Amino acid sequence: MSIATMTTKQQLFNGLVGICLLAAAGQVLAGDVKKGADVFAEECGDCHSVKEGKAKKGPPLFGINGRKAASVADFDYSDAMKQSGIAWTADKIDAYITHPRKVVPGGKMKYDGLDNAAARADVIAYVMSLK
Amino acid sequence: MQYLPSVGRLLRHATALLAFATLTSLFGTAAHAVPSYARQTGAECASCHVGGYGPQLTPYGVRFKLGGYTDTDGKDGKIPLSAMAVFNWARTEKDNPAPDSGLHANANDNGGMQEASVFLAGRLTDQIGTFIQSTYSGYERKWALDSMDIRWARTLALGEQEGVVGVSLNGNPTLTDPFNTIGQWRFPYTESDFGFGSGPSPLIEGLGGSVMGLNAYTLWDKNFYAELGAYGTLSPKGLSMINADDAGKFKNLGTYWRLAYFKDMKRDNFSVGLFGFNADLQPDRADGTANKYDDIGVDVAYQFLGNREHIYTLNASYIHEKQALNYSFNNGESSDKNNSLDQYKLAASYHYNQTWGVTGSLFNTSTSKDATLYGESSYHDNGNTSGYILQGDWTPWGKESSWGAPWANVRLGVQYTGYNKFNGGSHYLDDNGDDRKASDNNTLSFFVWTSI
Repeated sequence: MSIATMTTKQQLFNGLVGICLLAAAGQVLAGDVKKGADVFAEECGDCHSVKEGKAKKGPPLFGINGRKAASVADFDYSDAMKQSGIAWTADKIDAYITHPRKVVPGGKMKYDGLDNAAARADVIAYVMSLK
Repeated sequence: MQYLPSVGRLLRHATALLAFATLTSLFGTAAHAVPSYARQTGAECASCHVGGYGPQLTPYGVRFKLGGYTDTDGKDGKIPLSAMAVFNWARTEKDNPAPDSGLHANANDNGGMQEASVFLAGRLTDQIGTFIQSTYSGYERKWALDSMDIRWARTLALGEQEGVVGVSLNGNPTLTDPFNTIGQWRFPYTESDFGFGSGPSPLIEGLGGSVMGLNAYTLWDKNFYAELGAYGTLSPKGLSMINADDAGKFKNLGTYWRLAYFKDMKRDNFSVGLFGFNADLQPDRADGTANKYDDIGVDVAYQFLGNREHIYTLNASYIHEKQALNYSFNNGESSDKNNSLDQYKLAASYHYNQTWGVTGSLFNTSTSKDATLYGESSYHDNGNTSGYILQGDWTPWGKESSWGAPWANVRLGVQYTGYNKFNGGSHYLDDNGDDRKASDNNTLSFFVWTSI
């Protein structure tokens, strides 16, 4: 069966299978930076700035790629975040924004998590682009 | 039709209406915008407010308020002080036949500085914060304690669930509410003192500044909001100290209650709620007889926020007030002991890029017939008033990247209020007893609302 003859349901099923396989392999989907900016505005922008050195309720996410957790000077992190030992790779961010309280129990971030894997990939692509 | 009532009857009429529309000149139209919160949290105005300017709250703003105004960016040295001024100019379709001498008003084309406020607004401790506003009315030429909300709040966990619980000491039954559907926080967020208002209002909306309440509240599991408050009227000495008008004395404590379901889906959010206020008000403090008011209402709100480029909101409420006017009836100020009032309000807004905004609003108040209570000004012996408000505004700053953020804040707007009915119909009797069309009260106003 060619792709052209697939039904919408079949395409959706194949897409879900692909997402599940990538998730099982611990990989983050390749995201869209432009879409990620919109996801950031909806989900993150009230508490986090993308400006260098600009703290809100949460720390700035400028330069997050590879940054050690709790390393922004003058920001008042929780003890849990200070002791997490995390370095912010795409995988770590993906896990954290999926279930913040499971990854950093006792952390300050009051965010329930983002279930949508594609939206997570997009927003990760966006924040990783902030250099 | 010409009718010239005696001064005595006019005075009685004014007294009888006191409970329905008191204090609105100073408190009901007061605007609020508090940049000290932005400095405290590091968040731009647009994080908490739709359109980048107060007071319509986003879910982030709702949580900030219920959290006791204590969220912070973690940096010390923040001073919880802000200031605000509103300048406006208003033109009514036809000259006001009896300009309000208390406002030093002309018959038409009134303008100037309507109000200037200072705020003590922000975090005092980890769990205590304030919203206290003192306002100088440029038209009344006097200071007053405009709004007071002192909160203690903390997070509480019970098993797997957690919520915010708090207590508020405040000066208005609806001041504590986190949504923009009822009382103090409902559209229009600013309006000219020289306009004609939106008709008789229920007691819950007419007490600002003249009462003091202690409320306990919770936002449990992020979704369930509940609040219960008890209010007492201030003594004449207390009212004099804060320069507030006297609405009378509660025979017992007034009770305020509020239940709402709130769902924040980030991209959009909604709330559905119920609220009520009950009080026995003695208009004459020395007379033990009271008018009894039982207010109950329902409200609904929806916001589409998306990526904040295009924001749509809808706020609506309905209130029914049952009135047992024992004092008014005994003193010849109402024909019937039992009366009622029903009020609908709806406002829909669109904001582009947190900068350009348009809002359309409908209001409708209907009352039971009472020849003594309303007959002086109504051909139909009721206070029925309905109309609409259209507003366009421009908020150039208030975003994270804005010039002068978070110190420079301004909103410029044009507002038009049109009336279909006023005091019972499309025509009514004005303060001189002359016939006047409801549409003669249509008012165009411009405003400049700035805060620092």
